[in-house]
Amino acid sequence: MTQFPDDRDAEMRELFFDTSQELLQSLNDDALKLEKSPRDTEVVRSIRRTVHTLKGDAAACGFKELSELAHKLEDALAGDKPSLPALLVEVSFKAVDIFGEMLTAYRQKTPLPNVTEIKRMARNLASGVPATRRKKKAANPKTPRVIWTEYERKSADVAHAEGKSIFHVVAHIDQLCAMPIAALQLLTSALGSIAQILGSRPEAESAAHAKKLELLIATNAAESDVLSKSRIPTVISRVECFALNPAEHATTKAAERPSAPEASPAQDQLTETMESETPETVAALKIAENVLRVDAEKIDTVLNLVGELIVAKSMLQQTMQEFARVHSKDPLRPRFSDAMAFQSRVLNDLQRSVMKIRMVPVEQLFRRFPRIVRDSAKSCEKQVQLVITGQETDLDKGLLDAIAEPLTHIVRNAVSHGIESPRERELAGKESTGTIRLNAYHQANQLIVEVKDDGRGIDAAKLKTKALKAKLISAEEAEHMSTPEALDLIFRPGFSTADEITEISGRGVGLDIVRSVLLRMKGTVEIETQPGQGTTFRLKLPLTLAIIQALMFRIEHRLFAVPLNAVAEIARAWESDLHRVDATEVLQLRNQVLPLVRIGQRRLSEVDSTKEKIFILVLTFGERKLGLIVDSLEGEEELVIKALDDQTIATDLVSSASILGDGRVVLIMNLAAVMERFTKAGTDVRQPGAFSRAQQGSPSAEVRQ
Amino acid sequence: MEQFSPIKRSKDGQAIRYLIVDDSVFARKNLVRMIESFGGEIAGEAGDGMTAITEYERSKPDIVLMDITMPQMEGIESAEKIVQQNPDARIVMVSSVGYQENIVAALQRGARHFVQKPVKPEVLYEVIKYVLGEDGVVAAAAGAGA
Repeated sequence: MTQFPDDRDAEMRELFFDTSQELLQSLNDDALKLEKSPRDTEVVRSIRRTVHTLKGDAAACGFKELSELAHKLEDALAGDKPSLPALLVEVSFKAVDIFGEMLTAYRQKTPLPNVTEIKRMARNLASGVPATRRKKKAANPKTPRVIWTEYERKSADVAHAEGKSIFHVVAHIDQLCAMPIAALQLLTSALGSIAQILGSRPEAESAAHAKKLELLIATNAAESDVLSKSRIPTVISRVECFALNPAEHATTKAAERPSAPEASPAQDQLTETMESETPETVAALKIAENVLRVDAEKIDTVLNLVGELIVAKSMLQQTMQEFARVHSKDPLRPRFSDAMAFQSRVLNDLQRSVMKIRMVPVEQLFRRFPRIVRDSAKSCEKQVQLVITGQETDLDKGLLDAIAEPLTHIVRNAVSHGIESPRERELAGKESTGTIRLNAYHQANQLIVEVKDDGRGIDAAKLKTKALKAKLISAEEAEHMSTPEALDLIFRPGFSTADEITEISGRGVGLDIVRSVLLRMKGTVEIETQPGQGTTFRLKLPLTLAIIQALMFRIEHRLFAVPLNAVAEIARAWESDLHRVDATEVLQLRNQVLPLVRIGQRRLSEVDSTKEKIFILVLTFGERKLGLIVDSLEGEEELVIKALDDQTIATDLVSSASILGDGRVVLIMNLAAVMERFTKAGTDVRQPGAFSRAQQGSPSAEVRQ
Repeated sequence: MEQFSPIKRSKDGQAIRYLIVDDSVFARKNLVRMIESFGGEIAGEAGDGMTAITEYERSKPDIVLMDITMPQMEGIESAEKIVQQNPDARIVMVSSVGYQENIVAALQRGARHFVQKPVKPEVLYEVIKYVLGEDGVVAAAAGAGA
C-alpha cells in the first residue's frame, strides 16, 4: 500500500513530461506561425491555450515554479491583439526554451534555470496589452466545449458537403434517470431515425456518471425536429442544439483564406467552434482518441514473438512438405495445406499490424526544424526559408530517434555553410532568401531523407586544399583524388570547411559522426553538389523491417540472403561472357554494362568455367546496379531478421542473420555496404585495393562462431 | 393511488392494451395497478420470455412492459424476437439500475424505452405517452366522461 501512491505519482510525472514536450512543440510551432503572420489572433489564442494547459498540468504534478511561470505568461498573453507581436514571438520562443530547461531540471533533479529575464519580458508584454480579457470570455458564452476527433470532423465535412446540416446537441440527463448509458443509447436511437450520429461524448463505455450527453449529428431535418426528437421524458431533462454550419459565415472565411485548400470552410468552422480552452476538455479529447502510451520495449517483445511464430510456421511448412512427399495420397494433406494457408494469412496480418504500431510519421522529427532553421539563420544573419515535404512518410520510431541528431547537424550546416549571405546571393543573381528543402520518401525498402539547399555548393578543390592543410591527406593523394572522393573528405574526422567555426554548426557532432551513425543503422549518406547551385545530402536508411521477403543463395556452400525487392532479375551467363574492365569484372547484360561482384575466395582461374552457366543476381540499390555472382539459388523465404552485434560479426557487408525452419543459419547481406564498397556512384569502381579489401571483408571469412 | 388522465388510442379512442412480462407476480400486480390508473387495459401477462412471445402474438398489445431477468428466456432475447416478427411493437424495458448494459442491449435490439425499478407511476406515465407518440392521446379530464 505504501508504494502505491509513489508509483502512481511517478507514472503521472512521466506522462506529464511526455505531454508537455508536445505542448512545447506546439508552442514553438505557433511562435513560428506568429512570426510569419503577426496579426493572426487565432495563433495568439492557441499560444494562450497551450500555456494554460501547461500551467494546469504542471500544477497537478506539483511543479510549482513551472506552473507559476506559465500563469504569469498566460496573464501577459491576455487579449487577442497584443500591441507588440514581435515581443510576443520572442517571449514565446524564450518560454519554449525556459520551459524545456525547467522540465529537464525537474526530471534530473538539477537546479532550476533563472527565470527573471522571461518574467521581465512577460511584464513588458503585459504592460503593452489592453485588458480585453473579460470581454472575450463573454463574447461567446454558448459555444459548446467539446473537441471532436479529426475523424468526426471529417465525417461532418463529408455530410456537410452532401448538403446536410451539422448540429451539436447537448442533452442534460434527467435527475430521475440513473442510467446514463441507457440514456445515451436511447438518445442515439431516437436521433438515429432522423440523423446520422457522427460522434458522442462521453462515449458509451465512459458514460456511467455522465450528467450530460453531447452528440455531433448530421441531418436533413430542421433544428426543431432534432430538439423534439431529443426530448425524451424521464431521461433527458433539457436539450440544446447548436448549428455548426452557418453558410454565410463559412463563405467569408473561405474568401479570407484562399490558400488553404485542405481546410474546407465547414472544417474551419468546426475546428474553431469545437476547440476548447479548458484542460478538462483536453483530457476528454485524450479519452476520446483512445490513445495508449506503451513502452516501446513491450511492442518489441510482441514483434519478436511474431518473429518466432514465423520461424515456427516455416518449421511447420517444412514438415508439411516432407509429409506430402511421403504420404502423397493421404486425404489429410489438402486439409493441412488449407489450414496452413489460413495460418500464414493471419500471421501476415498480425505481423503487419505490429509493425505499424512501431511506425511513426517522420513529421515528428521534421517539425522541430523550422525553429532550428530560424535560429541558425538568425545567428548567421542569413535569410532562409524551409520547405518540408513528405512529412507523412512512416518510419520506425527507433530509427527516427537515431537520425534526429545527424539530420539536425546537416540542416544546421546547410544554413551556416550552404546558404550564402543575402548580399552574396544577390551578387550571384539569386534571390536573397535561400531555400532548404527537407524531404522524405520510401524507395525500394529504404527510407530516403533529403536535405537540399540552393546555396553555394561544395568546392572539391577547396576541400582538398583544406584536407592537405589539416594533414588529413598527402599531396600525392590529393593529386589523384577524384571529385567524389574529395567530397568524401568532409566525412573525415577533424574536418571542417567553414573558414571560421560558427557557434551554430561548429559544435556537436561532425559529419564524421553523421556517417558513423548512419553506418551503424545500416544506412548510407550521399552528397550531390553543384558549385553555385547547391548541395543535397541524402540519408538512406533501411526500413528496419524485422521480417523480410528474401532470396536465398549459396556462395561456396554458405547460405546468404538478400531482400527480394532488391533483386531486379536473375541472369545466367557463361564465365566466358564476363569481361574485365580495369580491376572489375563486368557483364554485358542486354545493352547495359553491369559491374560484377564476387564475394567468394575463388579466383576466376580456379573455377571450371566451361561446365555450366553461372548465376548472377542483378541487385539494385537506389540508383545503383550490381551483379552478384552466386554459386546456386536456394529459393525465396520469409526471414525473421536477427540483428547481429559487432561482437558476433566483424564486417559491415552482412547486416543480420536469420534462422530457418530447420535450424540452419542464413546471413543477410547489407546491400548498402556492399554497394558502397564495390561501386561508387554507379560507375566509379575503386582501385584494386578495394577488391582485396572486399576479400578481407568477405562475410564468409569473418563470421566468428 | 393517484389518478392520471387516461391515455387512449388516438385512432379509435379505445383503452391502450398492455402485455406485462415479469417473473415476479408481485411486480406484475404492481404494474397492473399502475396501468389501470392510466386507464389502460391488460391484454395479457407472462412470467417468462418464451410465454411473452406467444402472448404477444395472441393478444397483439399496444405496449409491452418487459422485465430483463427472467427464467426460460431473458427479456432482451424475448424483446428481440418480438420486434423481429412485429417491427411496430412498442416494448418498454423494466429493470433495476444494475442491469444498465442489458437495457442498452435491449434498446439496440429494438426496445423503445426503459423505466427503472422501482417503477414510479409518474415516470411510467410519461414514458408511455412518449412511446405511443401520435398513436396515443390523453383524454380531457379523469372523471369528465363518467
